[in-house]
Amino acid sequence: MDNFELICPAGTPAALRAAVDAGADAVYLGFRDETNARNFPGLNFTRQDVADAVDYAHARRVEVYIAINTYPQAGNLGPWQKAVDDAARLKVDAVIMADPGLLAYAAKHHPDLRLHLSVQASAANVEAIRLYRDAFGVRRVVLPRVLTVPEIAKLNAEIDIETEVFVFGGLCPMAEGRCSLSSYATGLSPNKQGVCSPANHVRYEQRGGALASTLGGFTINVFGEGEQAGYPTLCKGRFVATGAGEGSGPAYLFEEPTSLNAMDLLPELKAAGVRALKIEGRQRGKAYIAAVVRAYREALETFAAGRPVPHIDLQAMVEGGTQTTGAYTRAWR
Amino acid sequence: MRDPDVRDPDVAPTVFTPDALASRERARRFETGLSRAGLGLMPRLGRRASDVLLARLLRLLADRHPRAFEALREMADARVLIEPVDAPVALLMRVGPDLSLHAVPRGANGVGGGAVGGLGEAGVADAVVRGPYARLLDLLEGRIDGDALFFRRELTISGDTALILALRNTLDGEEEMDLVADAASIAGPLARVLPVLRRNAGPVLDRIEAARRLLPPPLRRGIERVEARLAGVLPGNSPETGA
Ligand code: SF4
Repeated sequence: MDNFELICPAGTPAALRAAVDAGADAVYLGFRDETNARNFPGLNFTRQDVADAVDYAHARRVEVYIAINTYPQAGNLGPWQKAVDDAARLKVDAVIMADPGLLAYAAKHHPDLRLHLSVQASAANVEAIRLYRDAFGVRRVVLPRVLTVPEIAKLNAEIDIETEVFVFGGLCPMAEGRCSLSSYATGLSPNKQGVCSPANHVRYEQRGGALASTLGGFTINVFGEGEQAGYPTLCKGRFVATGAGEGSGPAYLFEEPTSLNAMDLLPELKAAGVRALKIEGRQRGKAYIAAVVRAYREALETFAAGRPVPHIDLQAMVEGGTQTTGAYTRAWR
Repeated sequence: MRDPDVRDPDVAPTVFTPDALASRERARRFETGLSRAGLGLMPRLGRRASDVLLARLLRLLADRHPRAFEALREMADARVLIEPVDAPVALLMRVGPDLSLHAVPRGANGVGGGAVGGLGEAGVADAVVRGPYARLLDLLEGRIDGDALFFRRELTISGDTALILALRNTLDGEEEMDLVADAASIAGPLARVLPVLRRNAGPVLDRIEAARRLLPPPLRRGIERVEARLAGVLPGNSPETGA
C-alpha cells in the first residue's frame, strides 16, 4: 500500500530544516511578501532562502512547494507573476495557487512547473476541479475544510487528479478564499494581502485576570482567568446576538478556538482515496513543526505497517486547548 | 516518495530513556535557575557594567547568528520589554539600527506591570512580553512554540503585537540558540565550567534529589526556601504581586 505523502509547513529556514529532519515528504513555504496567505512580520523566505531550502530538502529527497495563493491586485500583477517565474527558476517541485489568471500564466510560461490548486480556490465539487485540470493542467487539489470524509470519497471516485487534505492545525471554518471577516474589521484579508487579522491591528489587554483581544479596535474575545486562548480572528470571536434573551452573555457564533486533528481518521482518509496529508502552521515556531511532523510521521509509518494508529499527544500545541475532526465528521451537515 | 532510510545523514538519532530524559529535564531546570540568578546580579553591577556585559553578549550572538541579527537591525526602531515575572530584572531590547540590550530592575510591582511604557529612566517600551523566566528562555532559544505558550496563557503580550511577532519569528528562524552557554562565555571562568556542569548536573541533581527525599519535611522546606531566594524569587516578589 502506498503511504500518504506528508506535506509540512515552514515559515523560516530553521522551520524547514526541522520539518525535513522530522520526516516530511514535502515542505511548503512562501516568499516574503503578499503573494502568499501567511504574510506575517518576520516570516517567510527570501529568494536566496528558497534556493538554500531547495538544496537542503532535495539532498534529503524531500520536495519543496511554494504557495503563491493570494489573489493578485487589479492592475498590479507584477509581484505575483515574478513569484511564479522565480519559483520555476529556483526549481521548486510544485507551486500552490488559487487565482485562475495566475494559473493560466504559469501554465503558459512554465509548462513543466507542477501546479497544485490551493485550498484558497475552495474547489469543492467535481465540475470545479475538472475545470482547473482541463484549463491549466492542475495535478493536485487541496480540498477546502468543508467536506465530510464520505463527500471526499465520492469526489475522489469521480476525478482523476490527486487530492490533499488538511489533517492538523488552525482551522478556517468558512469556505477558504471567500471569507471577508478580516476585511470588515481591518480592511485587509488573507485573500488579497495574505493575512487574516493582521498583527498590527491586533491588541491584547489584561483586564484583571482576563485577557481581552481586540481587532481593528473591536473587542472580539475575552478569555477568563485560566481559560485557554485562541487566535484573534473574528470567526472565533464571542458575540451577543441581536434579540438574544435577557442575560444571555457573549457566545461563540461560528467556531470556538480549536485545532484540527484528524490523526484518528487515517484509515477513513486512505479508503476515501486521499493522496497527501497537510499540516497547517507556517506561522508557528520550529518546536511546533518538529513535534507535529514527528508525531504524524510516526502515525503514518505505523499505519502503513498495518498496525493500529497510536494515540500521540499533541494537546500542548493546539489552539484553545481543544481538538476537533472539523467538517470531516461533522454530523450537523 | 520519501525513502525512510534516507534521513538526514548529519543528524544521528538520539534515543533517551525516560530516566535520562528526566535527568536532562532537571539539568535544564538547574541551568535555568543558574542563569536567572546571574540575571538577578545585573543590577548590583551597576548600569554601566551591566550594559557593557549585555553589549558583549549581543555582539557574540550577532556573530553566531548573523541572519537573525541583520534582520533585527533592519527592523524599525522600537523597544520590546522582555519581563520574567519571577526574576528581579527585565530585559529591554531595542531593535532597529541601534540594536541594544539593557537590564532593567523590576520593582515590587514589576517594571511595566504588563502595560506598555512606565520604564522610568529606561524610556518607554512599544511592546511587553511577560512570562515565567524558564518559558521566556525556552522561547528565546527556540525550544518552544510561542503560539502554544500564548494559547496556554503562560505568556502575556501587550502593546505592538506586530513588533512582538516580528521579533519572535526572526529569532525562531535561527537554529536553536544556546543563550546560557553564550551568556556564560562572556562571564569569563563560567565558560570553562559550564560544559562540565552540564555533563554532571543531571546525575548530581538526581543524587541530591534522592538524598533530599530522606530528609525530615521541615528541613526540606528550609532548603527549598534558600533555593528560591538564590534563584531570585524573593518573598513579596511573586508573579502574583508583580501582576
Ligand atoms: S476570519 Fe476565520 S474563517 Fe475567515 S479567513 Fe480568518 S481564520 Fe479563516
